[in-house]
Amino acid sequence: MSSLEFLFEGEVVDATVERRSQAIAVTTGGREIVLFPAGENLFSAQVNGRKVSIAAVRHKDRYYVDIDSVLVELSEPSAEMTSSGVGDAGEADKIYAPMPGKVVKILVEVGQDVAEKTPMVIVEAMKMENQVNAKAKGKVIAVNFKAGDQVDTETPIIELELEAAEGESG
Amino acid sequence: MSKLFNKVLVANRSEIAVRVMNACRVLGIPSVAVYSDADAHSKHRYYADESVHIGPPPPRESYLDIEKIIAAAKATGADAIHPGYGFLAENPLLARRCVEEGITFIGPTPDAIRLLGNKVESRLTMADAGIPLIPGMKDSSGDIEAFRAAAETAGYPVMIKAAAGGGGKGMRVVHSPEELTSAVEAAQREAGNAFGDDTVYLEKYIVNPRHIEFQVLADTHGNTVHVFERECSIQRRHQKIIEESPSVAVDDQLRARMGASAVKVAQAAGYVNAGTVEFLLDATGNYYFLEMNTRIQVEHPVTEMVTGTDLVVEQIRIAAGERLSEAFLNLAQRGHAIECRIYAEDGENNFMPSTGEIVHYSEPVGPGIRVDSGVMHGSQITIDYDPVMAKLIVHAPTREMCINKMISALNNYKILGVRTSKKFMIDCMSHEAFRQGRTYTNFIEVNMADRDISLDGYRDMAVAAASASAISRPKTVASGGDGRVRQPSPWEAIGPWQIGDSIDE
Repeated sequence: MSSLEFLFEGEVVDATVERRSQAIAVTTGGREIVLFPAGENLFSAQVNGRKVSIAAVRHKDRYYVDIDSVLVELSEPSAEMTSSGVGDAGEADKIYAPMPGKVVKILVEVGQDVAEKTPMVIVEAMKMENQVNAKAKGKVIAVNFKAGDQVDTETPIIELELEAAEGESG
Repeated sequence: MSKLFNKVLVANRSEIAVRVMNACRVLGIPSVAVYSDADAHSKHRYYADESVHIGPPPPRESYLDIEKIIAAAKATGADAIHPGYGFLAENPLLARRCVEEGITFIGPTPDAIRLLGNKVESRLTMADAGIPLIPGMKDSSGDIEAFRAAAETAGYPVMIKAAAGGGGKGMRVVHSPEELTSAVEAAQREAGNAFGDDTVYLEKYIVNPRHIEFQVLADTHGNTVHVFERECSIQRRHQKIIEESPSVAVDDQLRARMGASAVKVAQAAGYVNAGTVEFLLDATGNYYFLEMNTRIQVEHPVTEMVTGTDLVVEQIRIAAGERLSEAFLNLAQRGHAIECRIYAEDGENNFMPSTGEIVHYSEPVGPGIRVDSGVMHGSQITIDYDPVMAKLIVHAPTREMCINKMISALNNYKILGVRTSKKFMIDCMSHEAFRQGRTYTNFIEVNMADRDISLDGYRDMAVAAASASAISRPKTVASGGDGRVRQPSPWEAIGPWQIGDSIDE
């Protein structure tokens, strides 16, 4: 029997694993799940009277899992937690590309006041255009790219100075 | 059987290149792959009998470079070129260059491609032929006021479409006059980038339509037939994701009427080879001609499954001057077929394209299950090309059985390392509206908007799966710098050897 730990959706979860003949029994979250090997990286399980098809593989410190087509990624807690780089909702003052691509058009200028949901930039990837909108009201203080530039998801394309939330009459 | 061609060059990549190479193999014709730097290790390159490097990853410098394709055909002695779909498939210039070089283009004539590729001109031709059309602009114009006037006449909502378009690129729905200018501009930019032609036009947007298309085939001896319909109403961003045949909305009488219209469209265009006539069908059984696609379609396998035919083989036969096969003169629809497109995209995040390496790949198997795939373990999915990785097609006696079989097959189709829309498509097909056949082109907006994508219920299973993987890992023999486990080659296991002798040292 061996004990393992995984990072699932930001939560450290432990498990104990034991081989039972061909099957693998895992105890986690207070219950036991038995998986039957079904091929390289493939398993099946019987859960609540229903067969579930599973694929799981470890690649570069991450576990990629498919549970009846639901895709999940886990990692080992010791592995350095990498930031996705994609600006999250809390970072409303920076506009990032949703994925690496090419800037098609910058829709705002430095000094311009923008409202929430104002279209800011159009980025093209895989021949599809994606429009990125402002997440909050503010003033444009920097435009770091121009049309035609390649962008990644880590460098803000546009930076805003956010207007104080209580700034208006309300 | 004498060979129809000495060698066929496939001017495409990924799953459709592999599909065409299979058809060549069925006919005993060697095939040639072309590949860019990005595809040096991709499946289609080594699936062919030989392969030619044609340049760097950007399509304009490789798969869209007509002279490189022609040069590759000449260098390998290929006497025919199959363009697949996308890239140069609907570019009349490739078809014309083939004519000039004495190479057979496996597809329609340059004139037919040009006519049908121009959505404005083809509408005029079809109006003359008495084919029903959607109201809208009679010709194309860069003038925004012309768009504004046409939109007022047709009534909002309206649709902006690329004159040279297809595949959802350069298309925009406009609900109000305020949105018109930015939508026209965006459509022009997308059209310019995707097709090198930024001409767009406007037409009325039909609410709650179904997308019904008819496969047609025409030989060079004057025979034109339709091979029944496909319903492709399930679309995201105007791109099809689930296709089926037959359509629940088409009865024998409507099928006969629409099929006759489809044949008439092909004849009006002087069409030869395989093509698809697309219609919108409204709730009252009115149908409108959308366009005719002058290529083999992504979703052609559903037609093959219900008719027991091979459309790509037939394309090659027709191009060689053969008459339509007997099978196409006596067609019947048997059972039901569904295709799901496996795009590298995040079905849980607005279908955002997903890139990366495929770190596990395994296909479902069983009776009536077909996989047309362009990827394998180790494939790199980049932003250079369209995100269609593969197609899963199933066939069953009834629609209901077909849906159940498809869901099971999707669950046994495992691709890890990039995200896909498998679960999204399963949720579509599990929905009451889909099961009951209420499949309109707005199906996803209407039925999938509040889809539950939470992983809360999956924690224990995910941890169990990762745990099982952790203790099942194969022994590491050698590991590259990327930490990837490498299986020993049989040659390494054998050790030094020499043909016909043993090595004594």
